[in-house]
Amino acid sequence: MRVHGVTSEAPPVTGLALQVNDLHVSYGPKRAVDGVSLDINQGEIFGLLGPNGAGKTSTLSAIEGLLKPTSGSILIHQVDVRAHPGQAKSLIGVQLQSTSFQSELKISEIVKLYAGLYGVPLTKPAISNSLTEIHLGDEASRRFSQLSGGQQKRLALLIATVHDPPLVLLDEPTSGLDPQARRQLWDRIERFRKEGRSILLTTHSMEEAQAVCDRVAIMDHGKILTVGTPAALIAAHRDDPQVRQAAHGEVTLEDVFIALTGRELRD
Amino acid sequence: MAVPTWSSSLKVLLRADTTAQVRTSLSLVLTFALPLILLVATGLGKNSAVLGGPAFRISLALTVGLVSIGTVGYSLAIARDRDTGVFQRLRVTPAPTWTIMVSRWIVQLGAVLVMAIVVLVVAALFVGVTLPPQDYLFTILVALLGSAVFLSIGQAIVGLIASADTLNAAGRLLYVPLIGLSLFGNTDRLGTTVELVSRWSPGGCLETLLSAAMGATAWTGQSWGALFASFGYTAVFAVIGIRWFQWGAR
Repeated sequence: MRVHGVTSEAPPVTGLALQVNDLHVSYGPKRAVDGVSLDINQGEIFGLLGPNGAGKTSTLSAIEGLLKPTSGSILIHQVDVRAHPGQAKSLIGVQLQSTSFQSELKISEIVKLYAGLYGVPLTKPAISNSLTEIHLGDEASRRFSQLSGGQQKRLALLIATVHDPPLVLLDEPTSGLDPQARRQLWDRIERFRKEGRSILLTTHSMEEAQAVCDRVAIMDHGKILTVGTPAALIAAHRDDPQVRQAAHGEVTLEDVFIALTGRELRD
Repeated sequence: MAVPTWSSSLKVLLRADTTAQVRTSLSLVLTFALPLILLVATGLGKNSAVLGGPAFRISLALTVGLVSIGTVGYSLAIARDRDTGVFQRLRVTPAPTWTIMVSRWIVQLGAVLVMAIVVLVVAALFVGVTLPPQDYLFTILVALLGSAVFLSIGQAIVGLIASADTLNAAGRLLYVPLIGLSLFGNTDRLGTTVELVSRWSPGGCLETLLSAAMGATAWTGQSWGALFASFGYTAVFAVIGIRWFQWGAR
């Protein structure tokens, strides 16, 4: 059945928000993701942590449909990403690590474009209200490149959630933001959780992950090293000699992270 | 959650891409200013007749416009959007991937259609060249075919060259010989070899077809050859451009 350019064949949103099973992604001979499996519950904020090059963005890209996995399966609310990419994409909202929009379009036109691509008809007042809600009401006629970094992130998040997706994927959403903008972003993410959405995010900020995420997975060299609540991971690794060595006082998630992934710098 | 149909996605993309096209000053210059300047400039001076008759001037203006739009304007816009991640952002929406590129092509074809009409109107009003109605139709159809040829060349360039900066330089380098070959297809002043290469180059074939479409020359075996060669160029370059195209920056 088709209504106003929209098919109503998508299934109801129930059960696990995301199931990734034995995911492999390769770039030529290099294995970027090597057997990753993870589940995300409905209404959960899940942090994917790892040093640069650990495979976080590749994992997200495979879930988003930007990369074709070598093997493995990805189900978003029981919809197979590879078999039904359109349906799967309609269930997720995505904020990429570096986002850009057509430089010739005004902010209001960008919102209208992306709402349209998700089949959400937005009137001018509705667009204006959405922009006002994220404190961009006065910027509707400006171009994306004319916005500050914080404003760009807020707009990117608005566009990621313009269709009320049950699962939101955020790749380093707070990078480059000042503390005020970061706090505001976390408030919005917290609000998403209260609305029942699930959130999968990557971040380099262990403090934020510890404070905000219900569960985190630490990955390196394409593999998941450990998964659990921040408190459980700290408790489980508290007495490891490497963790004790990394800790300055009370053991934190960052100490566990450093102990598991090593101290050497990554490119 | 509802899944939008491909047609509604294409409609939304077309609206946005058309707006972007109209607001791009480079594309406006390439689409209108350059062909019109050429159309007028080739009629100036005592020796302008050496370049060819009025039909040749129109076909040259159209060819230059088509080469500019395809190899410079289109390819550069695609490379820039790829570099900045515009395509990746579009690809995470439910819109089928093919609609993203098809929308760009349709907008370019629309620009070519408008450019051809403007050139023909200016030619009629200010250059004094009018054609029978059916020749206007043929000329516009040939311009659209020529657009397909040069857009596919632009697609091949953007498929083979990774960065927008390199592509900008390569596009400009390619632009000169493509225009030059279009110029010398009708003359053996630079020797018969250059004439032969020129005649069967993408621009030369287009010149031949435009000349026949405007009734300046008869439709001959060479016209058929130019027609088939144009389809061939389009197919070959489009396959190269699509086969090696990457949506994200490498």
